[in-house]
Amino acid sequence: MARPRGGRALLLGWLVAIFALSALRDPALLAGLLVVAALVFVRGSLSVWRKVLIAVVPITLGLTLSSFLWLRLRDGRAPNFVPFLGLGLRATLIAFVSLSVLARLDLFRALAAWPTLTRLLVITLAQIHALRRIALESLLGLRSRLPRKPRTRDVVRGAGGITASLFTLGQRNARDLTDAMRSRGF
Amino acid sequence: MHIPDGFLSPAITVPATVATVPLWIYSARRHFGPNQVESLPAIGTLTALAFVIQTIMIPVPGGTSTHLLGVPLLALQFHPLVAFVCESLVLLVQALFFGAGGITVLGVNSLCMGLFGSLTAWLVYRILRRASERLAVIVASYLAMQVSAGTVALALGLQHWLSPDHFPTPFAVTFTAMMIPSLTVAGVLEAAYSVVALSLLRRVRPHG
Repeated sequence: MARPRGGRALLLGWLVAIFALSALRDPALLAGLLVVAALVFVRGSLSVWRKVLIAVVPITLGLTLSSFLWLRLRDGRAPNFVPFLGLGLRATLIAFVSLSVLARLDLFRALAAWPTLTRLLVITLAQIHALRRIALESLLGLRSRLPRKPRTRDVVRGAGGITASLFTLGQRNARDLTDAMRSRGF
Repeated sequence: MHIPDGFLSPAITVPATVATVPLWIYSARRHFGPNQVESLPAIGTLTALAFVIQTIMIPVPGGTSTHLLGVPLLALQFHPLVAFVCESLVLLVQALFFGAGGITVLGVNSLCMGLFGSLTAWLVYRILRRASERLAVIVASYLAMQVSAGTVALALGLQHWLSPDHFPTPFAVTFTAMMIPSLTVAGVLEAAYSVVALSLLRRVRPHG
């Protein structure tokens, strides 16, 4: 478990690092840094790599292939591959560093210096958890009531109904939370 | 729809973040009040609501699916600046806790999806609502989605213009890739969803 001050330093270091990394273009440098990052954050890296593959690869690959096709059709020759390689490596490196740092960070302890933000994130995450369960159960209920697989129209209607209930519930939750916070002296 | 980390350089992300911070503070103070006890639960709950709306997947012909934005609905039901604050927090929560999106691009994504999209929805709705309430919601939601997608494409196009070595995909490709799904599928679904959700909300709370 990270100490608050150590966690805060890691958080700030990560913020500075990702902005700095987002300025780099040289594929050789980016590849080198990716190797260094992989060695530094080797513990638990399998699940991080899996998340990186899901979050980064489809979008960069899709953009690269469509750009290649477009530029080849327009210019009659394949474009320079180096900037595409740089983009892919940069996006991968930032995602890998971010996920590795966040996996090692006790975010709420690191954010302890900013109590308003911490309180806001705690409330938001708790509400997300509660509302997601309600939304999921409502959508499962919708599926169970239909004799066939729900179509787009069914899901849009179901989502509209769920949202209306969630709005009402959300506002009630906000009122209850306000009362609870007030009664605890906030 | 949102831009991932690494696609934009600090030449765009830093000014966007610097421009967004005062707007977050102003919007939060104006619409949620300076008192934490009153404002935090409301912001948190509405943000959670926006987050959950975005997790509702809609099947699209062809076997894939897309997700709703929910920003136009929040803008129409509350205010564009409320939608802006909530969408920005959704992006922050996604980046910090769910490994999606990114922190360096938070300002740009918040402006494109949270501010421009919601402002469009709100303005179009105010202009058209006297003609037809339902039509106003449909057009407002559809156009909000197009403006969000279009401004995301513009930000990427600006990056290509500033430095093709940083983002090599030309604007024409990015714009086409963003706008075709948005114009044909996502915008239509967002409009249909907003109409259904708003009519149900008005039925539940006629004066809400």
